Amino acid sequence: MEEEVLGSIFALSGSLKLGVQRKSSKWTLYEQVAIAAMDCQCLDVAKDCIKVLQKKFPEGKRVGRLNGMLLEAKGLWAEAEKASSSLLEDNPLDQVIHKRRIAMAKAQGNISEAIELLNKYLEIFMADHEAWRELAEIYVSLQMYKQAAFCYEELILSQPTVPLYHLAYADVLYTLGGLENLQTAKKYYASTIDLTGGKNTRALFGICLCTSAIAQASKGRNKEDKESPELQSLAVTALEKDYKQRAADKLGLLVH
Amino acid sequence: MVAELKYEISQNAYIKLVLHALKHKTTAVNGVLLGRVNPQNESVVEIIDSVPLFHSNLALLPPLEIALIMIEEHYGSKGLGIVGYFHANERFDDAELGIVAKNIGDHIFRYFPQAAVLLLDNKKLAALPKGKDQSPVMQLYIRDASKNWKLAGPDGGSRLVIKEPAANVVLSDYISSEKWQDVVDFDDHLDDIKMDWLNLELFK
Repeated sequence: MEEEVLGSIFALSGSLKLGVQRKSSKWTLYEQVAIAAMDCQCLDVAKDCIKVLQKKFPEGKRVGRLNGMLLEAKGLWAEAEKASSSLLEDNPLDQVIHKRRIAMAKAQGNISEAIELLNKYLEIFMADHEAWRELAEIYVSLQMYKQAAFCYEELILSQPTVPLYHLAYADVLYTLGGLENLQTAKKYYASTIDLTGGKNTRALFGICLCTSAIAQASKGRNKEDKESPELQSLAVTALEKDYKQRAADKLGLLVH
Repeated sequence: MVAELKYEISQNAYIKLVLHALKHKTTAVNGVLLGRVNPQNESVVEIIDSVPLFHSNLALLPPLEIALIMIEEHYGSKGLGIVGYFHANERFDDAELGIVAKNIGDHIFRYFPQAAVLLLDNKKLAALPKGKDQSPVMQLYIRDASKNWKLAGPDGGSRLVIKEPAANVVLSDYISSEKWQDVVDFDDHLDDIKMDWLNLELFK
């Protein structure tokens, strides 16, 4: 992956030197090369690109952001935070700068600060799906599953046909446990299967896991909820068929 | 008094885990250790193989449960069981054994009381190409009497050894040739079941 990025950096900087046809894209290229270079810790390349941009846009906010990112790449957190705070003063609604601050908190290991900042960010930019996902994943990593579930609920509400959110929500509910959560998880594994035309291996496995977990959890209870066994057997059949076709050596391991 | 437990990890098991961590540099990764108590020497646990597990959402149960079921099924028929857990943190300077690692470690401990938890030592890994260190780039954690995972002390270096002394040389070689690209984990398998989490072709 790194090789590809490096390759692209040099290809892009090559085209910059040759002079790109449309002037407006030339500066965007410099910006992209700078960011890619920082991703690969080629800080000299990044610095050179930023210098060129600085000359062209001396008061530019985007150049300011790049300078902030360069400070981050060097691990100069205090300076980077100062830079982003001053940028925010002039541009309080700049999403990228807000997100850099969250990234900085995360990079330094201040997870609770990252969560706080991310929550504040989402109060303003509540349609930012990537941010909701990031928050959910941070919550999961801290085993704060209820909070993660809330994030996925928001995502499902705003984008109900994206199977990824249904699947993640189901995974979180299953992890939370308890009969009700397991039953809801099963529903969301089912909707994932629906939305993916039955092709999602994780959801198919999820149905199986839920079925046995629900059976365990309802032992001794009145069986008011009639668990239709069809869903389970359909899932098992689908999995067996798929493994037989594409991973026959693992077929014997499907013990459910 | 029972002699202190020693853990001997095979070169392939060791390299697989480190390469997996290198493949996913920007996220935490984990894996399970497969092996058995040495039949000739009860105080040695042999870590004979490893399976890289996940590189995202390590703390979600469903993929973990599926993985453990399939792994136990496969290795059980070969007389091996899950003897430990490997974890690599997301950030370079994070050398703490986090809550997720401890919880999964606890779960494995319930089935194998001599379970080991290995944490990738990022600084040691970064220093690898420069030195001649034969000790593994991992820290060993063992559960103590008060149910906490404790770092096996400064002499703990000798409690976790790699079976093949030249393993770090081989590892450095693989790193320069970017061999990590070929490592398959359970996440990859769940995304595409054609991907082989046994990594049977990796060291051929």
